[in-house]
Amino acid sequence: MTTTISPDAAAATQDGPEDAPRIPRRATAPPSVHGRPNRAGWTGPTYYGRSQLKASPFENPVVGGYIFLAGLSGSAAVIAALADLRQGAAAAALVRRGRYLALVAPILGAPLLIYDLHTPKRFYNMLRVAKHTSPMSIGTWILMGFTGAAGLTAAAQAGTDLWPRLRGLNGLARAAQVPTALTGLGLSTYTASLLSATSTPLWAAAPRSLAMRFGASSMASAASALALTEPDPDHRRALEGTAAAALAVELAGAAIAHATYRRTGVEGALKGKAGRVEHIGATLLGTALPLGILAASLLTRRGLPRPVTALAAVATLAGTAALRVSIMAAGDRSAEDPDVSFRFSQPENLPER
Amino acid sequence: MNMHPRALEHATSTLDHVIPNESELTAGARIVPGRSYGFFTDTTVCIGCKACEVACKEWNNLPADNLGLTGQSFDNTGALSANTWRHVAFVEKSGSHGLRDGLDQKFQSGWLMMSDVCKHCHNAPCLEACPTGALFKTEFDTVVVQQDICNGCGYCVPACPFGVVDVSTVDGKAHKCTLCYDRLKGGLEPACAKSCPTDSIQFGELSDLQVRAAERVEHLHGIGVESAYLYGTPDAPGATGGLGHLNAFFLLTDRPEVYNLPAAPTRPANRVAPSLATGLATVAALALASAFLFAPSPEDRRGGRR
Repeated sequence: MTTTISPDAAAATQDGPEDAPRIPRRATAPPSVHGRPNRAGWTGPTYYGRSQLKASPFENPVVGGYIFLAGLSGSAAVIAALADLRQGAAAAALVRRGRYLALVAPILGAPLLIYDLHTPKRFYNMLRVAKHTSPMSIGTWILMGFTGAAGLTAAAQAGTDLWPRLRGLNGLARAAQVPTALTGLGLSTYTASLLSATSTPLWAAAPRSLAMRFGASSMASAASALALTEPDPDHRRALEGTAAAALAVELAGAAIAHATYRRTGVEGALKGKAGRVEHIGATLLGTALPLGILAASLLTRRGLPRPVTALAAVATLAGTAALRVSIMAAGDRSAEDPDVSFRFSQPENLPER
Repeated sequence: MNMHPRALEHATSTLDHVIPNESELTAGARIVPGRSYGFFTDTTVCIGCKACEVACKEWNNLPADNLGLTGQSFDNTGALSANTWRHVAFVEKSGSHGLRDGLDQKFQSGWLMMSDVCKHCHNAPCLEACPTGALFKTEFDTVVVQQDICNGCGYCVPACPFGVVDVSTVDGKAHKCTLCYDRLKGGLEPACAKSCPTDSIQFGELSDLQVRAAERVEHLHGIGVESAYLYGTPDAPGATGGLGHLNAFFLLTDRPEVYNLPAAPTRPANRVAPSLATGLATVAALALASAFLFAPSPEDRRGGRR
């Protein structure tokens, strides 16, 4: 951590020995931030290589894990409700598993969120206000609504499973699944606006395509998780079709997002480890690969062997989780790197009025 | 010497009471709830004494952040943080390209110093992001974190386009400049502004400050400092992208990045609707596709429920 001014540089200056040396910006900046010089980034002056922004204090695996579980839950509720509305008792087993899978966000996700608070014992203060400008507040209320509705749906489902003769319980589950699915739509995708409604360059650069990716990958993950455990070949095919459609949308979203990152100059944030996870883990192995497998399976009459489609489902689930955690990590990097943050906050990136 | 006429009422050097509406004497502005107050920080007269940093730490009882040396000019504070609500930036430049060009040696003529602070934005992103309502707009049009409400979710930290708000590792709550909310309530001007020996930090009613700042820029342009401009006044750099004006604004003589300020920050809340709408449309469209794929098979349709 020593700063030395080379004697050559001092001798070369005409204005006096104490003339300010050029600030060695890229030398003082953390090496991890500047792995490679990034031509698309900010090349003007900085304040000692510091960024003007602060990265989020979120623990990325914890919050990324919540975003994954929220998408899985919300979309599982949506798929279960659709299967029930379309096929009724014929899809009873699938609907049951979907309704139970919807409980992962309330049971596992919400504690993750509370764990990430820096004063967790005050978690209930989230319920003091409702704000349309804060996706975290919107999300709190979506999660509350979903927890109530999904809990009621699952409880009624459990009651039907235990006492099949209680006919009213099935009706209750069928009624409660509608608000569950509606809040599930929100739960699948609000997390993208949670990230985009910040000043973190990578998240703020592409609000629409990030929402597309998060929403589509939520649907893909829920369809894949349900397909993994689905014995009925027809239902499995419908789930794999849903997953394939979602993966195609996710891939399109990824293409739009990367074009937007290039246009707004924040691509440099994806140059490191998080970027490699996003490119290779989330997009290539987690989206393109399972999409290819599922498309091939759907185009053949009898489908590919089950282990192959199961591999696609596992890859989708892992890719969905990798997408969330890598976008969070790359976002932090974009906030800490002045080459990215100053490049993004140039007037050309202002929204059109 | 301009002295406020009311100063004669308190002629002794020891006082046994608080002077009512003291800010009228020290800043020329009476503090009235319901009006808009802020800071005008004129960087051309900042001498980098850090009295503002010290006054802020003393009044607000804030601990030190860094006891070491950064090697970055005289700036050993580094950045605004949970414990540092005023931060003096030091930029060593050569040549002022202005008034003193040719008078001083170049290495003495180009220092830039700026006392940075929370901007108390009109549409404050931290406040708009806060899910607990801990951040609020006070009766003086300033933005304050209520410490008894904040649960340390940390969402205000990435929301801030200026990197001001920070979550303390000591108490797990978000902290930032309060524009001395407690002092304003007592009729005192904020500690940093009161301690500033060159009036680089000026406290007052926002409309007055904006007029004063515009006159100062005009004056500077007149005497040859053509690079002077305002950052954070309506429609100026810093007050872009739906943020509205900044209640704490600055007079700068170099591009914003030199002072570690963004040239064109934006209001994050404007991204909520497009993002939510696109996400919901995506999931709803995929749900429709899924509903199509779950079409009842012919025997189900004929025989009803199995």
